[in-house]
Amino acid sequence: MIVLGSTSEVAQAFVEKALQEGEKFEKIYLLTSSREASERFAKHIDVKFFQQSEIIEIDLTKEINYTKLEQISSNLLFCATGFLGEGSEEGLYDDKNTARIIEINYSKLVPLINFFAQKFESKRSGTIIGLSSVAGDRGRQSNFIYGSAKAAFTAYLSGLRNYLFEKKVHVMTVKPGFMDTKMTEGLPLNPALTATPKQAADCIYKAFKKQKNSIYVLPIWSVIMLIIRNIPEFIFKKLKL
Amino acid sequence: MKPNFVKKVTNWGNFPVVEKEMRSEDQYSKIKDFVLNHNEIIARGNGRCYGDSSLAESIFSTKKLNKFISFDRLNGIIECESGVLLSDVLEISVPQGYFLYVTPGTKFISVGGALASDVHGKNHHAEGCFSEYVIDFKLMNEKGEIITCSREENSDKFWATIGGMGLTGIILSVKFKLKNIESAYIRQESIKAENLDEIFRLFEESESWTYTVAWIDCLQKGKDLGRSIMMRGEHAFPHELPEKLKNNPLRLKKKFSPTVPFYFPGFALNSLTVKIFNYLYYKKQAKKEVKNFTDYDTFFYPLDFVNDWNKIYGKKGFIQYQMMIPKDKGREGMQRILETIANSGSGSFLAVLKLYGKENPEAYNSFPFEGYSLALDFKVDKNLKKLIGQLDSIVEEYNGKIYLTKDSMSRSSLTNYLKNVENPKFISLQHKRILNNNTI
Repeated sequence: MIVLGSTSEVAQAFVEKALQEGEKFEKIYLLTSSREASERFAKHIDVKFFQQSEIIEIDLTKEINYTKLEQISSNLLFCATGFLGEGSEEGLYDDKNTARIIEINYSKLVPLINFFAQKFESKRSGTIIGLSSVAGDRGRQSNFIYGSAKAAFTAYLSGLRNYLFEKKVHVMTVKPGFMDTKMTEGLPLNPALTATPKQAADCIYKAFKKQKNSIYVLPIWSVIMLIIRNIPEFIFKKLKL
Repeated sequence: MKPNFVKKVTNWGNFPVVEKEMRSEDQYSKIKDFVLNHNEIIARGNGRCYGDSSLAESIFSTKKLNKFISFDRLNGIIECESGVLLSDVLEISVPQGYFLYVTPGTKFISVGGALASDVHGKNHHAEGCFSEYVIDFKLMNEKGEIITCSREENSDKFWATIGGMGLTGIILSVKFKLKNIESAYIRQESIKAENLDEIFRLFEESESWTYTVAWIDCLQKGKDLGRSIMMRGEHAFPHELPEKLKNNPLRLKKKFSPTVPFYFPGFALNSLTVKIFNYLYYKKQAKKEVKNFTDYDTFFYPLDFVNDWNKIYGKKGFIQYQMMIPKDKGREGMQRILETIANSGSGSFLAVLKLYGKENPEAYNSFPFEGYSLALDFKVDKNLKKLIGQLDSIVEEYNGKIYLTKDSMSRSSLTNYLKNVENPKFISLQHKRILNNNTI
């Protein structure tokens, strides 16, 4: 398995879930911008599951050295890379913030996934799971830079799914909704709408097994987003969302 | 939305409830920042203590320190971060033939909490407290420095932290020994005792057993005072097990565990319902003595079977009162405690009697000493303070002690026994209350 964003709690919970369910991986490749945090996880899965792993440092905001990714071979890619950035009020006119959000969530990420997608395509097998966001379903004033990058990422995954379908590679889009993770710590989230990483991992694993195309983690989010997507623009633009 | 980290926090008893800043980090550099930028900090694991001991002005949750570090399978030595739960340890150790040397009555506590409370189990008389099996641990002090503490290195901090209720710093990781087992089952004997004399006699007779504990029906009076069931057990060997368990002695089947869906209304638990429960529990076992095999979950963690069982006490919550009386006065003291409870009519759903062995004089902050302890659950209501006052007076008369991990309202003369922990950086609401001699 290849994990992009291996310090993500959802990615880690997914790895644990898959191993618990008896999935076998010769090696798990943990791609990360923080070696220290990924090392903790690598030791953890070694103790818990006798699982071998390899840490590969990658920083999406810098030039990526693809030669060190050449030897990687796997049938499953889990992408949980993400950066929320500063919200619109504080971060909108900060170019660095904007660039970073777009790079990590989309522009630098897509070539990296493409690199692995090509490998999957040539083997004519495998699954790519990408974590997008409900924020990409409609731009809202609170985080639309992030939302727009995620919208682009959702569109990319959907196109990739379409393109790779005949090549026997499956692509799954996950839109988690609120998550109880580092990204949202300290925010007053409604517990009924918030999933824990473990809940999310269970749900993503189930959908992975069923080869679903696009899922929301908690079913309630498909209803919420259905409504949000369908509010007429002349009303929507006046709302404080 | 700006994060403010202020949350409603409460421990397992749902009493008291406070609104305080709570944060969780997994990187040592960020934990250091937190320590340097806050005062009156306490670390909190899974919130399974009962009172206010893991609450403070600023709470550091160890929930994200949840990784294993190493497992020496040859010698049974495991190292993990402090937020790892005992249930996580058991999940990987039992199938490989290892069990915790010391475990309390729930497996949903963190390893850091086990050390800070220096937890004890049904085998204290035989195997002591959790700390006996701790090799070393890493502690972040008030300056944000990480120090390794063992019997040889920083031994003053080592002993102050054991049972020190988190007041010496933030425990980051713990290395400890595990016990060899050959099966996941316990050979158990349950024996009914008609009264206090009989149960004390049974405890004296059972000293050679590794695990002993008694459940007491604390609403009985007169000749039935102390009516109880003694449970004693040993880890079973595979050859002793019934045929169907022999093949896979270290694996347990997954069981369904129900969840209490909501807080019960306040009136649901009253002296009548407790009386009925106790009556049924005592009568469930028809024979005087039953011998059987039971899996470790059922033997050690009967209450973990029901998720969120704390909700049956209603929204106002409950407290657990666990006290200890020296052995020579144990019989007399317990009789007075039980009489006081029975007369008050405030029955306890759960009443557990235990005999403790000799204390470890080095672990001076640990709760247990040689004697008898009784743990009781009481629903929080207007009569509770008066009852606790009466019970405290009896415990004080016999030079007893209250278990800090469960304390939320006992008088400070029974709860101020910690030494070498004074530190303005790390201070819990409980410790402040005890120092100020306040009650909630």
